[in-house]
Amino acid sequence: MIFVTVGMHTKGFDRLLKKMDEIAATSGEEVVMQIGHTNFRPQTAKWFDFTTEEGIKEWCKKARVVVTQPAMSILDAQEQNKPVIAVPRLQKYDEVIDDHQLDFARHLEKEGKVIAVYDVDKLEETLRRMDPKPMKLVRDKRLVNALRKYIELIERG
Amino acid sequence: MKICLVCSHGGHLTEILQLQEAFEGHDAFFITYDSVRTRQLDRKYLLRNIGTNPIIMAQASLSMLRILLREKPKLIISTGSEIAIPAFYLAKLLRIKTVFIESWTRVDRPTGTGKIVYPVSDLFLVQWERLLPKYGKKAKYEGAIL
Repeated sequence: MIFVTVGMHTKGFDRLLKKMDEIAATSGEEVVMQIGHTNFRPQTAKWFDFTTEEGIKEWCKKARVVVTQPAMSILDAQEQNKPVIAVPRLQKYDEVIDDHQLDFARHLEKEGKVIAVYDVDKLEETLRRMDPKPMKLVRDKRLVNALRKYIELIERG
Repeated sequence: MKICLVCSHGGHLTEILQLQEAFEGHDAFFITYDSVRTRQLDRKYLLRNIGTNPIIMAQASLSMLRILLREKPKLIISTGSEIAIPAFYLAKLLRIKTVFIESWTRVDRPTGTGKIVYPVSDLFLVQWERLLPKYGKKAKYEGAIL
C-alpha cells in the first residue's frame, strides 16, 4: 500500500493527488490519501481529509512507502521506518506561498535523506524502481540543549 | 516555570513536539489552531485558523490577550506560523520573554512570520546556518531538530 499525505496546508495539492489517483488505477496497488484542503476527489484511491496523530501513524505503519511533501510529514514516515518520496509543492502552481519546499527537498536529497521527485510524471517509475530503504534521520540534541539553557536563564531571572 | 507554546496545527506543531524534551519539568501549555489533531493535546487553548484573514487575526489577538493575562507565562516559544505574530507583539506589551524558532523546512528563505516577529523576539533561532545572513545579527544557529 502507498500512503499519500499532504498535511494541514490551507492550499490544495491537486497535482500530486491526481497523479497518485492515476497510479492507483493503473498499477493495481492500493493507494490511501490524506487530502487536506485539496478540492480534487480521488476516484480510485481511498481518501479522507484529516485524521489524528494516531491515524497518520497507523497509515504510515501499514504503507510500503509514504509519498508526501518535503515538510514535517516526512518525520511521520521516518518514525515508522518507511521510505519517503518527497514531492515539493511549487509556487508556480499556487500550491504554496514560495518555493521553500523545493530548497528543502534538494537539501534532503543531497544528504540522502529522501527520494525527491520534482516532476509528478516521474512518480510511477520511481515508485516501481525505488530502493525500499527507510531514510535515516539522526536526532540533533543541540537545539533542545540550547532551549533548555535559555529556559534556565529565564527561570533564574 | 510556566511556558506557552504557540504554533499552528500541522508541521509547526510537529516541530515543537520534537523539542518537547526541552520543556520537561516545566508547566507548558499550547495555544494552537483547532483540529482533530490538536484536540488531543493535554493543556491547550484552541483558536480558529487565522491564515491570511485580518478579522480572524484581530479576534485571535483578543483571545490570546485573555489567555496570556490568565495564565501569566514567563516565556513564549513558537515555531510559527502566523499565530506567532499576535502572540509575540502581546508578549512585548506584557513583558513576557519570547523565543522564535524558524522552521527546519526553511533552508534559504525566511518566512513572512519570521521577518515580522524578528524585531520583538528575545531569542531568534534558525535551523540552517545558511539562513543566518537573511536575518539580522540577533539570529542564531544552535542546531536543528534533526
